[in-house]
Amino acid sequence: MRKLFYISNFGILGVFLLAIGLDHKREWKKHQRGYYEMEAARLEEELKSAGDEAERKSIQSQIRSFRRRPLEIKQIITPDLGRVDRCVTCHVGMDEFTNPSLSNPFAEHPFKAHPKSIAKSHSFQQYGCVACHAGQGLATTAEAAHGQVEHWEEPLLKAPYLEAACAKCHGNFESLSETKTAALGKKLFEKHGCIGCHAVNGRGGVISVDLGDIADKPLARIDFSKSGLDRKDWNIKNWIETHLTKDPMELVPNDPEGHLGEPISPSGMPPFAGEINAAQAQAITTYLLTMSKQPLPHTYYVPGAPAKERSSGDPAKRGQMVFEKYGCAGCHGLGGAAGRRNFNALADKQTRMEDGRVPSLVRVVGTYSPEELKKKIQEGVPSSAISKFKPEGPTPPLYMPGWSEKIKGPELDDLASYLFSVADQDSGGW
Amino acid sequence: MLDLDEISKKVYETQVWRSIFRHSPWKDAPRDRMRHIVDNIWLHLHPARIRPRAVKVSYSWGLGGISFMLYLILTVTGVLLMFYYRPTVELAYQDMKDLEFVVTLGKFLRNAHRWSAHAMVLIVILHMVRVFLTGAYKKPREFNWGIGVLLLTITLFLSFTGYLLPWDQLAIWAVTVGTNMAGATPFMGNEGPFSGLLGMRVNNDVRFVLLGGTTVGASTLIRFYVLHCVLVPLVAGALMIVHFWRVRKDSFSAAPLEADEEKLDVWPHLIVREYLAAALTILAIFLWSVLQNAPLEELANATVTPNPSKAPWYFVGLQELLVYFDPWIAGVIIPNVIIVGLVAMPFIDVNPKGVGYYSLRERPLANTMFLSGIFLWFLLIFIGYFCRGPNWGWYWPWESWLAHKPLPPPTWDLPAWAGASLMIFYMAFGMAAPRLIGGEISWSRAIGAFVALFLLAVGGLKIFTALAAAKLLMLGFFIFIFFLLGFLFPQRYLKGLDLARYALTMSLILMMLGVLLKIGLRLGFDIKYVLSLPQFNFNI
Repeated sequence: MRKLFYISNFGILGVFLLAIGLDHKREWKKHQRGYYEMEAARLEEELKSAGDEAERKSIQSQIRSFRRRPLEIKQIITPDLGRVDRCVTCHVGMDEFTNPSLSNPFAEHPFKAHPKSIAKSHSFQQYGCVACHAGQGLATTAEAAHGQVEHWEEPLLKAPYLEAACAKCHGNFESLSETKTAALGKKLFEKHGCIGCHAVNGRGGVISVDLGDIADKPLARIDFSKSGLDRKDWNIKNWIETHLTKDPMELVPNDPEGHLGEPISPSGMPPFAGEINAAQAQAITTYLLTMSKQPLPHTYYVPGAPAKERSSGDPAKRGQMVFEKYGCAGCHGLGGAAGRRNFNALADKQTRMEDGRVPSLVRVVGTYSPEELKKKIQEGVPSSAISKFKPEGPTPPLYMPGWSEKIKGPELDDLASYLFSVADQDSGGW
Repeated sequence: MLDLDEISKKVYETQVWRSIFRHSPWKDAPRDRMRHIVDNIWLHLHPARIRPRAVKVSYSWGLGGISFMLYLILTVTGVLLMFYYRPTVELAYQDMKDLEFVVTLGKFLRNAHRWSAHAMVLIVILHMVRVFLTGAYKKPREFNWGIGVLLLTITLFLSFTGYLLPWDQLAIWAVTVGTNMAGATPFMGNEGPFSGLLGMRVNNDVRFVLLGGTTVGASTLIRFYVLHCVLVPLVAGALMIVHFWRVRKDSFSAAPLEADEEKLDVWPHLIVREYLAAALTILAIFLWSVLQNAPLEELANATVTPNPSKAPWYFVGLQELLVYFDPWIAGVIIPNVIIVGLVAMPFIDVNPKGVGYYSLRERPLANTMFLSGIFLWFLLIFIGYFCRGPNWGWYWPWESWLAHKPLPPPTWDLPAWAGASLMIFYMAFGMAAPRLIGGEISWSRAIGAFVALFLLAVGGLKIFTALAAAKLLMLGFFIFIFFLLGFLFPQRYLKGLDLARYALTMSLILMMLGVLLKIGLRLGFDIKYVLSLPQFNFNI
């Protein structure tokens, strides 16, 4: 019993001291101490070449101050964002109090200073760090602060995705030199007809989800199991990007064979991997990451110039603009040349449900009269009217919405002119 | 050389020392040992001398003392946490992060509080089991047993109210699940039966009172905070005082006196054991807190429901019962029957034997039934916690929740007439059979009767459906359990009881076995409800 008495008492003391020790030995202290020592060493070099006594004194006192500085949590409190960012605890080179000039010769992470051009116009005291870089500002360990941990959904944004943060406020991002990727992403988004299926803040197609707040999508609603991503990479950026670099059908296979109940076709999103390269996928992802509903103070916004109305004397040219404006390429392919995949829709030379296609406009438009074509565009083709390859298989995910409310009058005429201009001539005798 | 004896003697004789401790110099004599206890405000709840068997560790396992020690740890860590925690939805989660990343020893403090809370729930339950098994709730300790049962429910409620405070996804959804059961209370909850009689709506029922709103939100947080930090601890403290006082008054050991029993001095014999139990408890909690961090998920978001959302582990058993019964039965009636049944236990169990020692032989019925109930409770917790995945579907602990599973086979209800007759038959047969069938049943006859019952059931079911081997096995298992616990045991040990006690005991046994049988019917035979009367929300 005496033994137990000693074991328990010294055990408590020991474990408590261990807890204090672990608590005391925090990761950030190493970085902060390291920075002060590097600064002191740099100043000692400077001291060697220092000229007069007054300068030497000043440098010496600076060295002393760095050597004796207590280690402490540093934080930026941004009142209009309601955030507390502790990043400068380790990134001391970016702390305006330790390094007022915001410049130093250190290249090594986490000691280097912030690029000056941005820092000049974006005061740290106002914006903090997380507003642009994302991550977990409250945390003081590298892993948690960079946000690559479970239960933190906004990990650090690295270049070029970081441009998404700029474009959130800068309505003029298409004309800025720092946001070329985001600008390219916007162009590609329009060119490939994403808006045909995905609305953005209510403007656009209704076949798939509205992307207006895609950057805020809770990860709990996403099934990453088929993405092939490591668990630590399960985040919204990678979810968007894999949709462009992989076949979405593999990402969201659903249950086309009906093993689990009613057959459900896989993701209706066509594979774009053959059409856009990795850099372009990155650009579109960057652009989509700007789409967040998280409120920012109104003073942060920089308006952009309104988009220029494009025009042309040629009805077919104008029609092409209509074709792009409404995202027809999303399903019918660039220039209407090759219809994209529509799972289990009936198509030519088909052996599997995966071979289902949206009609190629180039090939079919010639079989219509102008009036028939316009009627078809206005009425659309509901999914119930699409012939299936496998009758007991799932409903094809893509369908032609009725456009009568959106495309009418001169736009409709122009569109028809454009389509006839690219269509194969019908050899059947029309 | 330092003469310690001389120095301590001098210290004891100083005016300062004497003014504080009132003692003359300490001598290791019976009188001084006694005075150590009775002159000390903290220790005088103990008697000065105690029977040796009350001191034996293998008698009490120190579980009551450990529960109290955990309560003290929780009080100290809880008060310290209150210095850092602000109970508002904007700040609570941020304060959790601050505790983890900034506050000195903050993580350790929160871990210690969290793990002590879980440990206390478990230890209090074990304490109750121990008291039951040693028959220590019997005359004259009936009242204190009742207080103990109340303290158990208060412990659960304390833990539950604390569960919300981190304000993460885990917190709000566990509390949403837990409080939704309150909405199913008969008369008082808007989803319970007869709610119309009192004009209950979602915004004026008992759940609304608990939440301060119709969903878990800002006002729930402040309510739970006040309950957790002020109100419930005060009630718990008051009841603990009564509990300890009665332990002292009713004497520490319930065992019958032996002729030549020599009492021991509480100082040092009991005090040293209490001290060791407390110290080892602290050591265990400290170790646990260094090794494992308390969970913290994403910031609470009322629009993102995790699938599945689970109640805190000690209520997951009740949540699992929702699969088998209408919510007001699973979430309100069953737990209340358990509490009332436990409080009534000393008045039902009039067997005078087995007081103050463990004995299965002298109390076969009471111990078997109680342990079965405890086993069932933890079985339900196990199923709910480890075997339930998305959409509350069945996933074995080693299966990934990401694997998409086919829909479970469709469930079916028995037709009302069949369900009603089955229920009436179950209750009538269960009530009457053990009492009416007299005489000692030999094992060979018992086995014969079991086989006959089994064949009868199989034959009966054969008319409707072909039974697979697994289902036959399952049927055999459940009939065996019922036959053993619902018939053989009561037939052998209960039938001598007076009618009122017999009826009460038998109905508690039948209810407990009914829950088990229903689990079997649902999991083995896909029967959703045996008897469904939708007009009364009566679904069992």
